[in-house]
Amino acid sequence: MKVLESNAGLLSNLEVLELLQKRGAAKGPLGGSISPAEYKVYEFLVDTPAGTQTRAALEEFVKEVKVFKLTEAERLQSVNLRPATAVEVHLIVEDCDERLSGEQVDSLIETVDRVLPSPPEKPEAEEEEAKGEEDEELDEAEEGSGAA
Amino acid sequence: MFVLTKVKHELRIAPQKLSLPLLDAITSEIQNLFFDKVLKDMGLCITLYDVRAVEGGFVFPGDGAPRFTVDFQLVMFRPFIGEVLTGKLKKCDKTGLYISLQFFEDIHIPEHLLQQPSVFDEEEKLWIWNFNGNDMFMDLDEEVRFRVVQVKYPTIPIEQDKGAKPFAPMEITGDINADGLGLVSWW
Repeated sequence: MKVLESNAGLLSNLEVLELLQKRGAAKGPLGGSISPAEYKVYEFLVDTPAGTQTRAALEEFVKEVKVFKLTEAERLQSVNLRPATAVEVHLIVEDCDERLSGEQVDSLIETVDRVLPSPPEKPEAEEEEAKGEEDEELDEAEEGSGAA
Repeated sequence: MFVLTKVKHELRIAPQKLSLPLLDAITSEIQNLFFDKVLKDMGLCITLYDVRAVEGGFVFPGDGAPRFTVDFQLVMFRPFIGEVLTGKLKKCDKTGLYISLQFFEDIHIPEHLLQQPSVFDEEEKLWIWNFNGNDMFMDLDEEVRFRVVQVKYPTIPIEQDKGAKPFAPMEITGDINADGLGLVSWW
């Protein structure tokens, strides 16, 4: 084996998720051509903010945060972690106190909240959605019996 | 978290796979060889990104299989130093915390990189961060945010002690001693 280029580019969580979906990850570890290890990564990623993101939202976000002059790694981290509080922004952005003012931090959080879709709330809820309509009816029936 | 790595490798395609389209045969061979394996200094291989070029197809005398030189890109799990990741707390012991990312388990946060002052509760077997007089427990299965400080690729030991922990080809050391790090529910 010969490594031609060890770092040919960073990938966001969404890109890896899309790639695994293309390989048939949604069918489960036994259904598609996907290996069990890949399925584990897929399961991990659908519960992260990447689970609800779209490419269009990401492109929009990259355009909008140009004003903050973040590095590539910082933009990637913002997309992957979707910071919602100032303390998270300070973690992601190096020397945040010197580079961004308080208002800029607030405006970055506002941009994140506006442009990137909200993260998946509960993993259970999302699995049910993926199953389709028939199952939804079943779930409703179950919920009804549970309440009674 | 994930990076692309360009690799060139000579693959031997077994004759029974030749009924498949060539690209499918190559993909399945790459899957067997690389997926879920740690390549030294490259990280953990997750999946195949694309196949860029296929050359050759020579059959050597005495061998019933063609060999192709394939140029492809792999998706590797290799966090950069300083990257912030979120995982689940899997285990606590005196040496620190063990974090799991579901697909990757060998993440350790040593005692000296926990919030100060933190103490280990022998009875509960949990770490406690003493914050302004409040005891903050680090419960198992809680989400933990940590910063990567080191990624190690230990060499395979020739001889291993009986009680030693299982060998891990890739180990990540994390740090939670900063504002915003530690249990996600704290912040």
